[in-house]
Amino acid sequence: MVQLLEIGLANVELNLVSDKEKRLKFCINDHMDILIEILQRLDGRSLGSAACVCRLWQHITQSDMLWEHLCFHHVSPRLPSGVRPVVAALGGYRRLYMLCLRPVLSRLGLARQLSGGGGHQEVVRRVWTRHLVELSLSLFCVDYYERLGSGGGGGGRVGDASASSLMFLCKPVNV
Amino acid sequence: MDLYRSGSSSSCAGKAPDQIDGLLAGAGYRVRSSELRNVAQRLERLETVMVNAPSEISHLADEVVLHNPSDLASWVDSLLSELNQPVPVPDLSDLTYAESLDPTVNTGAWMEHHTAEQHREIPQVLTAVEEDSCIQLVHVLMTCAGSVQRGEFSLARALIDEMQGLLTRVNNRCGIGKVAGYFIDALSRRLFSPQGSGLIGSAYENEILYHHFYEASPYLKFAHFTANQAILEAFDGHDCVHVIDFNLMQGLQWPALIQALALRSGGPPLLRLTGIGPPSSDGRDSLREIGLRLAELAHSVNVQFAFRGVAASRLEDVKPWMLQVGPKEAVAINFIMQLHRLLVSAPTRGSPIEAVLGWIRNLNPKVMIVVEQEANHNQPEFLDRFTEALHYYSTTFDSLETCSTQPDKALAEIYIQREICNIVCCEGLARVERHEPLAKWRSRLRGAGFKPLHLGSNAFKQASMLLTLFSAEGYCVEEDGGCLTLGWHSRPLIAASAWQAIPEPNPPLGLVDPYNNVV
Repeated sequence: MVQLLEIGLANVELNLVSDKEKRLKFCINDHMDILIEILQRLDGRSLGSAACVCRLWQHITQSDMLWEHLCFHHVSPRLPSGVRPVVAALGGYRRLYMLCLRPVLSRLGLARQLSGGGGHQEVVRRVWTRHLVELSLSLFCVDYYERLGSGGGGGGRVGDASASSLMFLCKPVNV
Repeated sequence: MDLYRSGSSSSCAGKAPDQIDGLLAGAGYRVRSSELRNVAQRLERLETVMVNAPSEISHLADEVVLHNPSDLASWVDSLLSELNQPVPVPDLSDLTYAESLDPTVNTGAWMEHHTAEQHREIPQVLTAVEEDSCIQLVHVLMTCAGSVQRGEFSLARALIDEMQGLLTRVNNRCGIGKVAGYFIDALSRRLFSPQGSGLIGSAYENEILYHHFYEASPYLKFAHFTANQAILEAFDGHDCVHVIDFNLMQGLQWPALIQALALRSGGPPLLRLTGIGPPSSDGRDSLREIGLRLAELAHSVNVQFAFRGVAASRLEDVKPWMLQVGPKEAVAINFIMQLHRLLVSAPTRGSPIEAVLGWIRNLNPKVMIVVEQEANHNQPEFLDRFTEALHYYSTTFDSLETCSTQPDKALAEIYIQREICNIVCCEGLARVERHEPLAKWRSRLRGAGFKPLHLGSNAFKQASMLLTLFSAEGYCVEEDGGCLTLGWHSRPLIAASAWQAIPEPNPPLGLVDPYNNVV
């Protein structure tokens, strides 16, 4: 009886040990699909920090799909499918977010906070989202066009690379 | 006079501002170094009163009791308030009188130091002296403009010298000082080099200035985005569209339209763009280069695109056959700050604006966009134009103060300076900046056979959103009878409107109307 108990206890110990070993061997980097699912739910700033963790994470966060999700997942109704190739051609979602959406959202958020958002904020947000998307895409396109001019054949005609019509978005806001 | 000298020398010594001035203390007066400026100003005013109206203050000799001689500042204040002396009325006779008194020897040096200190410490606060000088400056500007209108050129030249002197007393880096500086410069160009026609730059220079003006302020962006919105709505449902831009510049308006057309439901149309611009002088084909860039962008987003450049030094030289409008195309005409150039009229040339509007109407465009400065700079009398321009550009410069990126701000100011010079210095054919207010454009365009299209709420929302992105609080978008205006602190500065041709009952021979009926 005691022997059975001892064998039983020994088995439990072995199981515990192997579970622990299994747990130690679990690494998120081995499960890219889970990692991507988690990263998709981060906000922009966290996503940027995640890019600094290790080379693998940096590689993953450079995938434009993550940034597409960040940019437009809250937009309703869903954007037409034609948006993706256009944004990709103009420089990608990551650049769109960094250059246009982030400053636009922060400025509009500040403006709304100051004017007293209140209960109708959600309605305002949905109504404004379509215009916000259109405006951001337009500004993004102008930026692409200017880069065409300063980088490629136009040379220094339109002005140097620092002359970008989106500079006004980079200024600190005193809204 | 002793007080001036001691005041200026002690402020030059750079003492701590709260210390009692040592030199005056020796004379029995307690004045803080920080108040020396104020005391000197008040004493100056008191001296002016005493010299100008000795009879008024004779009672002071009997009745005023100096209770506390050590507090000089408030004693002088009380004297001045008893006399009810207002701010000295700026008048030419005052100026000459003040000069004959010759206090400028002392006060001149004192003022230079004062303004230097002002620049270091609090640039925006105007002291009483500076305010007076600003008021005088504006007054002399108006007087000078009036004398120019009457043809009294020697008086005008003397007044210019006057104003140069006044300019040294004001902060000419901001506010009215800066604007006045530009207007004085324009007036002196008009007087001293009449054969020149203001400031003319090469087309290349103009493009650079235009680009920096685009970046420094929201006016051009507002114009482009509002126009694009109206064009987009007008092109809804059409598969072949043709945009005619009467001032292509660097084509900054069109990337956003190309992208919006790429994303519209139903797919992008075939887009043709005809860009009109001045011929380039140095052998480059700038129109073609811009066209290539736009084509590359259109190619990236899969929009079929064709570009044609039309070089014309004057807008009225453009003829409809140069544009090659196809019969089934939907046409949009785009005039951003250009239509007013056609208001130049000479007896030999007829009315260019009527001619151009006539053939545009025959093209039957789906939409014609007109964006213009909201000002009345085309009045027949020079003084009226000058006054209006002074107000308009003061507001414009005020709004530019909020821009903090250099060299955008400096170059944007030069861009505006060129407009000012054209309005003030030039006459006849050379004066092309003939801005007219929206009301006048409305009656003119109605008379030419166009009816207004309402810019919808989408355009308004987009413009409002664009403005919230600019950090300055002073801009405002307003709707005015279907047109949108962008202004600074409730003064509209630029107005955007959309028009459509009223169909003629009998179109001229040789044209095909949009229903494909050959007339």
